[in-house]
Amino acid sequence: MTTSDPTKLKMTKEFGLPNIALCVARVPNSGRLIFGSSDFKLYEFDALAEKPQPVAFNGEGHQSYVTGVVLYAPNIAVSGSYDGKLIWWDLEKREPIRTVSAHELWIRRLAVSPDGKTIASVADDMQCKLWNAETGEMLRQFSDHKPMTPHDFPSMLYAVTFSPDGKFVATGDKVGHVAIWETNSGTKVATVEAPTLYTWDPRQRRHSIGGIRSLAFSPDSKLLAVGGTGQIGNIDHLEASARTEIFDWQAGQRVKEIVNDKFKGLVEHHVFDPSGRWIVSSGGDNGGFVSFHNVETGKTLHQDKAPMHVHQFALNEACDTLFAVGHHKIAIFEFKAEAAKPAEAAPAASTN
Amino acid sequence: MKPGSFFCGSADHGVNRRGFLSAAALGTAGTFAADMTQLDLLRHSAWADDVKKKEKRVILLWLAGGASQFETWDPKPGRPTGGPFRAIQTVSSGVQISELMPKMAARMNTTAIIRSLNTKNGDHGGGSSLMETGRRKDPGIDYPDLGALCAKELGRIDSAVPDYVSLYSSTEGRRKGTSGFLGARYAPMFLSENMVPENVRRLETISDIDHQDRAALRDLLAKRFAQNRTSDVIGSHTNAYQRVRGLMASEKLFDIEQEPEAMRAKYGPTQFGQQCLIARRLVEAGVPFVKVARAWWDSHGQNFETHRELCADLDHSMSALLDDLKDRGLLEHTLVLTFGEFGPQINPSLGRDHFASAWSASLSGCGVKGGACYGKTDPDGHTVAEGEASAGDLFATILTSLGIDPHKEYTLGARPVPLSDFGSKPIKEVLA
Repeated sequence: MTTSDPTKLKMTKEFGLPNIALCVARVPNSGRLIFGSSDFKLYEFDALAEKPQPVAFNGEGHQSYVTGVVLYAPNIAVSGSYDGKLIWWDLEKREPIRTVSAHELWIRRLAVSPDGKTIASVADDMQCKLWNAETGEMLRQFSDHKPMTPHDFPSMLYAVTFSPDGKFVATGDKVGHVAIWETNSGTKVATVEAPTLYTWDPRQRRHSIGGIRSLAFSPDSKLLAVGGTGQIGNIDHLEASARTEIFDWQAGQRVKEIVNDKFKGLVEHHVFDPSGRWIVSSGGDNGGFVSFHNVETGKTLHQDKAPMHVHQFALNEACDTLFAVGHHKIAIFEFKAEAAKPAEAAPAASTN
Repeated sequence: MKPGSFFCGSADHGVNRRGFLSAAALGTAGTFAADMTQLDLLRHSAWADDVKKKEKRVILLWLAGGASQFETWDPKPGRPTGGPFRAIQTVSSGVQISELMPKMAARMNTTAIIRSLNTKNGDHGGGSSLMETGRRKDPGIDYPDLGALCAKELGRIDSAVPDYVSLYSSTEGRRKGTSGFLGARYAPMFLSENMVPENVRRLETISDIDHQDRAALRDLLAKRFAQNRTSDVIGSHTNAYQRVRGLMASEKLFDIEQEPEAMRAKYGPTQFGQQCLIARRLVEAGVPFVKVARAWWDSHGQNFETHRELCADLDHSMSALLDDLKDRGLLEHTLVLTFGEFGPQINPSLGRDHFASAWSASLSGCGVKGGACYGKTDPDGHTVAEGEASAGDLFATILTSLGIDPHKEYTLGARPVPLSDFGSKPIKEVLA
């Protein structure tokens, strides 16, 4: 039985950070967050502690922004960075176990397969690479993403996610191209296009903004949500409405277009609820938001301002609490049904 | 057109640079000497100095909106303000620049960096005006911009090519430039919508002979009118007409299709790259000052994404330009500059906001001590730690590198006006 009710959304706590938290993973059945930061470090932060403080990991870490982190075992995290490296970390010792030079350019995001055995990384070398989580061995790599935009500037490969059944991996780039791959073979099985998420300004400022920043499969793996922002007039700022497009990816059809009626900026992360009825999105411009939308109708169920631009969030097992990280803050949102007991676990949603 | 009488812009009719300069030195627009050895004038030191000065050319790559010094010339990796990018070693010992500029890192032996500009004006309009003229606005004087100054100092009164060409295709922050009190003679040929000048072609309804006859008639009438009259306006009017044929003939200079495909490929497919190629064609033909504006660097929200794009464009296009100028023997006579109205500072949202207290400019080629790096900012780039330089100092440095005395004065009414601002000094550490 689900314990969540999006209409009950409220922020319950917020914590200040000296830097920008760019990614987060949560240790199961706890409030322990592992987040990557703009000061190149990985931190642990127990959001449910009485007086939580970020605690930096030790040892030789990253040399640039830490933009992806996943947990594949109770005590092991893997982080990715703009330095192109993947680092395996012992969570108890908070020390590195293994470092792999994974990509030639900036790693933008990581995802972990539902069985915890495979880690996917995407980077601006436009490659998606799958890694054996246990050994650090690269299993395969693939790309369907052009290194240059149609306007002859470097493109970026921002987003990656696994389907809940683990059979597929989706990757999304700056110009709105999505490719879906079979995890086990690396065979491309479909593509979809979301060009509205990419704004090229040919005249006023002559560069671009936007791109696919988030991907999420529905619980039955049939739908794929693609997040970013809409067409922007003044590309100095993220001034377009936050935007999610939902595709029946096997049919290659867009089935829903969700244009946020209140908040602007990027959809940095989104997740379907375990029933597949709603999708929660978060991101922002200078500020931030958390929004719930009905998947079938696209209508807003509820949404609220976040105290910061949100880069990523983690849901708890009951899917009624959201731990968001972003610009100089960590915030906790709850959306619990009245009679719900918070500790009772519903099936975990993919938080890739 | 008579073969050899003017660089028509085609590769086939490319004028030997020395030949062009010789002709320019002779002051015979439209007729070129074969080479410099025919110039007896050069035996006289005063003339030689003048010719030497007038060989010089300037290409200003105007980084409109404020390119980030952190992502170009003054990286601060690992600092809270530094952003995600690493610093990379250049070929110049001890000088590191952003990893977004790898091609320029390999060419730092041609380039000097000034890292200590404090221009105090973080407003786009005010900052642009300051960095265009090298001084703050004065209600009593309409100052010329750098292009007009160089046009006046480096151009020839009888030049057949434009003295000052300004390309600014983007609309954001677009500024035409100003010749100020120097007058319309030194105003830029301004290209905004197209890369080829508009309205310079002879009307199809008029034959070339008719056009020349009309010009001759106009010249005759103008001379009669000017007899016993002394007026700067009449002189300027006549001078403008005398330049018409040259300006009309310059159209092909803007046509990069005249270049071999391999050369166009070196500059790349972006508009900025193509405009850099046009700039090279123009300075090769004798245009003293070309400004290529690359907008728009202002990025309050997505600074690092924006600089991933724009630095790649700058790095590639600037490198191609320097290589091309060098290969043609033009770099030692051509000063290539990069700066805009200011450089930005980090904001809390992965963007950067306006900032003019500690930022950078680069100078390459003519008169420049390649590999030099002047000035220093504090570890976070908030303030200048060593060698603070003003806009006037930068202008004094530019003028000195071109062999122009920055303290030379124009007389405006009874008022002496130095070329670079009062109290400004050239930064000798970056001069060859």
